[in-house]
Amino acid sequence: MTTQIKLRDCAKTFTDGTRALAPFDLTIEGGETIVLLGPSGCGKTTILRMIAGLEFPDKGGVITFDGDDVTHQSIEKRRVGMVFQSYALFPNMTVAQNVAYGLKVHGVSREESDARVKAMLEMMHIEMLADRAIDQLSGGQRQRVALARAIAVQPRVLLLDEPLTALDAKLRVRLRTEINALLRKLGITAVYVTHDQEEAMALGDRIVVMQKGEIAQIGTPREIYCKPQNPFVADFVGAANLLDGQMRDGRLHIGNHVFDAVDAFDPRHGAIIDQGPVELFFRADGLSTCDAAHAHFTGRVEAVSYLGERLRLTVSGIGMHAVMIDTHADDIITAGADVHCQINPDRLTVFPARGDSTTAVSQAR
Amino acid sequence: MRRDWKFYSQLGLTIVLCLFIVVPVVMSALAGVTVNVFQGLSSGLTFRWIIEVWDLYTASILLSLWIALVCLAVTLVTGVPLAYVLVRRPGRLTRLFEELLTLPVAIPGLALALALLITYGGVSGYRSSWLFILTGHVLFTLPFMVRSVAAVMSAMDMKMLEEGAASLGAGFWRRFFTVIVPNAKPGILAGALMVVTLSIGEFNLTWMLHTPLTKTLPVGLADAYASMRLEIGSAYTLIFFVLIMPLLIAMQTLADRGKRVSKRIETAEDTL
Repeated sequence: MTTQIKLRDCAKTFTDGTRALAPFDLTIEGGETIVLLGPSGCGKTTILRMIAGLEFPDKGGVITFDGDDVTHQSIEKRRVGMVFQSYALFPNMTVAQNVAYGLKVHGVSREESDARVKAMLEMMHIEMLADRAIDQLSGGQRQRVALARAIAVQPRVLLLDEPLTALDAKLRVRLRTEINALLRKLGITAVYVTHDQEEAMALGDRIVVMQKGEIAQIGTPREIYCKPQNPFVADFVGAANLLDGQMRDGRLHIGNHVFDAVDAFDPRHGAIIDQGPVELFFRADGLSTCDAAHAHFTGRVEAVSYLGERLRLTVSGIGMHAVMIDTHADDIITAGADVHCQINPDRLTVFPARGDSTTAVSQAR
Repeated sequence: MRRDWKFYSQLGLTIVLCLFIVVPVVMSALAGVTVNVFQGLSSGLTFRWIIEVWDLYTASILLSLWIALVCLAVTLVTGVPLAYVLVRRPGRLTRLFEELLTLPVAIPGLALALALLITYGGVSGYRSSWLFILTGHVLFTLPFMVRSVAAVMSAMDMKMLEEGAASLGAGFWRRFFTVIVPNAKPGILAGALMVVTLSIGEFNLTWMLHTPLTKTLPVGLADAYASMRLEIGSAYTLIFFVLIMPLLIAMQTLADRGKRVSKRIETAEDTL
C-alpha cells in the first residue's frame, strides 16, 4: 500500500529566469525515506514542493505516483501530508480540530473522524492536549500536532520540510528519534528536507545531496559518509580538511612521502587515477599527532578547542589551508606550539585536482 | 513613599487639563436634560427634550443606523477579499491600487461629495435615494476596513496556512472561509466597528449628499443646532453619545484582547 514516486526530467526555472533546478531524475521507492540534504538555496525545498504540487516542473518534466501522472495535479488532489518548519497549524482551531481538518475535508464521518483523531493524538503522545488552543503549545508540541494532522488523512507520501529546524538542540534529537520510529512503523513513503547532516544520516534510507540546483550524490548514509563521490559532498558531510597531492604510477605522493594502496577513484570518469595532481579530503581523524621520529608533517597549533571527549586542534603549515586534527582530551597542547603528525592513508578520500574550483566549494558552504 | 511637590503639581495640571476637556461634555449632556438651560439646573431636569428629538428625528437616526449597517455589509463583502488580494499578491499593481483606495481618506469629504454630485447628480432616482449617501460612506470607510484586515492578514503567514490546508485537500473557498477568515477575525471585527462608527458620525460628505428626505443623524444634529433651541441640540448630542459610546468601548476592548493573545504566544514555553 506504499506509493512509489518518480520524477523524470524535472527542472525548475522561476519566472524571473533563475534556474532553481537543473533537469534531474529521481525515483523514491514505496515505503522509503529519502532525505534531501544541502545548504540553503541548493533546490532541496523546490523538489519537495514539486512533489507536493506547490511548484510545477518546467515543460517536459513528469511526476508520477505509482504510475499515475500527477504532474499537473494541484496539491489538493495529490493526497500528500505536509509538515512545515513553522508548523502551519490553524490558530483558530484546537489541537483536535486541527487533526480532524483533513478528515472533514475528505468527508470522513464524525464517528470515524473522532476515533482516528484520538488514535493519532495517542500515537504522538499528545492526547492530553486535544482541547488546547494552538497558541498554548510549545514548539515541540506543535510539531507533534502537525505530524498527527498530516498522517491522519493517510497520505500517499509524507513530506517534511525542515520540521526540526525551529526547535532547540535537545528537543531536536528527541523528536528526530520519534519521527524515525514513526516512519518505520507506518512504512509510509517519506521525503525529508534538511540542511543538517546528522539529521539526514539518522533518518534517511537514502540521502540525496544537493548542490546549486543539481544532485551531487544519491546514496545510503554509509555511502555518503564513507564514499563521497565529489569534493562538495566530502566537504558537506564533514571531511573538511584538504591537502594537495600527486599520483605517480598509482602511488600517492604527499610532499616527500609516498603511500601505497590508496583508492584514488575519479567518479566523473569512472576510472582509477594513476597520474596527476589530486586533492585529499579527510575528517579530523585523517591526521593524528605522533612523536617527531614518525612524523609526516610538522605544523603550528593556531587554536585549541576542548570538545569533552577529545581536543580539536587547528593546525597551520601543513596544507594550503589550516587543518583540523583531533587528539586525546588529556593531552596538554597550547596554541603557538609545534605539533608533529602522521597521515592515516585509509582515511583519505582522493579526487582529481579541480584547479581553482577549490574556492568554489568553500564558498558553497 | 512620600511624594514631593513635583508629583502634586503634575497631578494638579493633569486634573485641570482633564476638566478642560470633560466639563464641556458634561455641560452639554446636562443641557440636554435641563428644563431651561438659561436658568440653569435650578429649573429642574426633564426627559422632554430627548423625547422631542426622538419624535422629530427618528427617521434620521434610523436611516443612519440602516446606512451604517448596509455600509458595513458592503465593506465586509468587498473589503475582506480585497485585503486578502493585497496581502497575498504584493506587486506594483496592488500597491497602486492600495494608494488609490486610501485616497478618499486623504482628500476632503466635501471634494469627494462634489465629484459624486457632478458625476451622478443627474441620475435622479439614485441622487435622491439613500443609496447615494451609502456610496459616499462606502468610499470613505472601505480603506479603514481594508487596512485593518490587511494588518492582521500580513501578521499571520497566510501562504503557509493555505499550503497546510491545501495539502489536507481543502480547495480555495474552503481555505478562505475555514482558515483565512476566522484567523483574520480580530482585524475584521476592528474594521467593522471602525466602519460603523465612522459611518454613523460622518458629516462632511453626507451633508453635501443628503436631500431633505435622506437626512442622517449628524446632518440632523447640525439642523437641530442651527434651527432649534439649545436644549434640543444638546439632547440630540446625548442620543448620539449613547449610540456611539458602546461602539468605541467595544473597539478598545477588542484592541486590548488582541494584545493579550500575542503576549500569551510569547510566554508559551517549551516543555515537550
